[in-house]
Amino acid sequence: MEQPPKKWRYGINRWIILTLIILNVFFVYYVYYPVLPHIQLPAENVTEHPLFGNFYLTNTMVATILADVILILIAFSVSRAIRSGDLIPKGIPGAIEAILEVINNLTESTAGKWAKNIFPFFATITLLVLVVNWMELIPGVDSIGRLEHTDHGYPIEEVIPGSNIYTILSEQDAGEHASEEAAHEGGYGLIPYVRVASTDLNFTVALALISVLMTQVIGVRALGATYFTKFINVGGVFSRPIFGLIDFFVGLLELLSEFSKLLSFSFRLFGNIFAGSVLLFVIGTLIPVFIQSAFLGLEFFVGLIQAVVFGMLTMVFMAQATQGHGEHHDEEHAEEAHA
Amino acid sequence: MEVAAAKLIGAGLAMVGTIGAGIGIGMLVNGAVQGIARNPDASGDVQTNMILGIAFTEAVAIYCLVVALLILFVG
Repeated sequence: MEQPPKKWRYGINRWIILTLIILNVFFVYYVYYPVLPHIQLPAENVTEHPLFGNFYLTNTMVATILADVILILIAFSVSRAIRSGDLIPKGIPGAIEAILEVINNLTESTAGKWAKNIFPFFATITLLVLVVNWMELIPGVDSIGRLEHTDHGYPIEEVIPGSNIYTILSEQDAGEHASEEAAHEGGYGLIPYVRVASTDLNFTVALALISVLMTQVIGVRALGATYFTKFINVGGVFSRPIFGLIDFFVGLLELLSEFSKLLSFSFRLFGNIFAGSVLLFVIGTLIPVFIQSAFLGLEFFVGLIQAVVFGMLTMVFMAQATQGHGEHHDEEHAEEAHA
Repeated sequence: MEVAAAKLIGAGLAMVGTIGAGIGIGMLVNGAVQGIARNPDASGDVQTNMILGIAFTEAVAIYCLVVALLILFVG
């Protein structure tokens, strides 16, 4: 039975939210109107000069490092919760336990005895992609950064005189005078310090490469050299001429499908999250109050689904790789004969 | 200016490909829901396979989206 809430606390959250909404409307229409950022595909450099040699730190790299730090902190908190001897974890360790239990059950029901080898990939990929995707929802990501002089930028203004903090002005805030000035000498564009890592193809391709490569490794560990007969299948060519030839070409198609897995893995995550962040930018500038909250909820859901799908597809492909393609049948027969 | 206009039209045309993915996902979920309605005990398995199928089907739509984004924001 839940205790009824105490009287003096009753409904305090709704007043906080109402205040935030009023502040939001006030800020958007009377202080600074939001500006549509310049959307570009490749990640931007955080610093103007390379760190060393020809190496720039890009903003998606910063996001990846942040996600790693968050994951390591979560890992420490979970390990401390385990060592404290409490059998019922609370808070973040409890949530992580619930997630890992779901993942583990799913892996065991699909992969059987190879679940122990496959589970780490599923869990790692899901957790990393989840943290990276949900970074999109944090205020300040994609909106705090350094200013760069560009040809078609916006005028800027110091927020508090002398504080060295600048903000970008939209055209209606700046007025005619300033926009004429900007048209003459160009304005400033924002380069965010942190941009969601999944909006960089390098991140998603790296994950897809790891996933597909480790699928082959697990396949070889499970089946030995016979794993490769899945791709180059010459076993039946001489004994059954027509069907053997068909099997051979099916094997070649399997080889091709390994490469198309790479493409679909990387583009699925990239396309979903990049389109999501563009959607948030556009909605945020079109209707800056109320509506964006609904789209933030949508992006929360999309980020979760994409993380689970990436991990689950990896798991299913690995489970398929551990099962031989013609031998499954024979093994069953052998077991029957043995029994 | 003509190039910019052609880019916008091209991006719009690229997204036509999502029609197929939309129909596909609709059919997929139709089948899955009917399966769950007939045999509610199997809902877990059906859901897992449905999500996998949706992910594969959606990938085609995402290719269209990536092509449209490439046309709009690259080069």
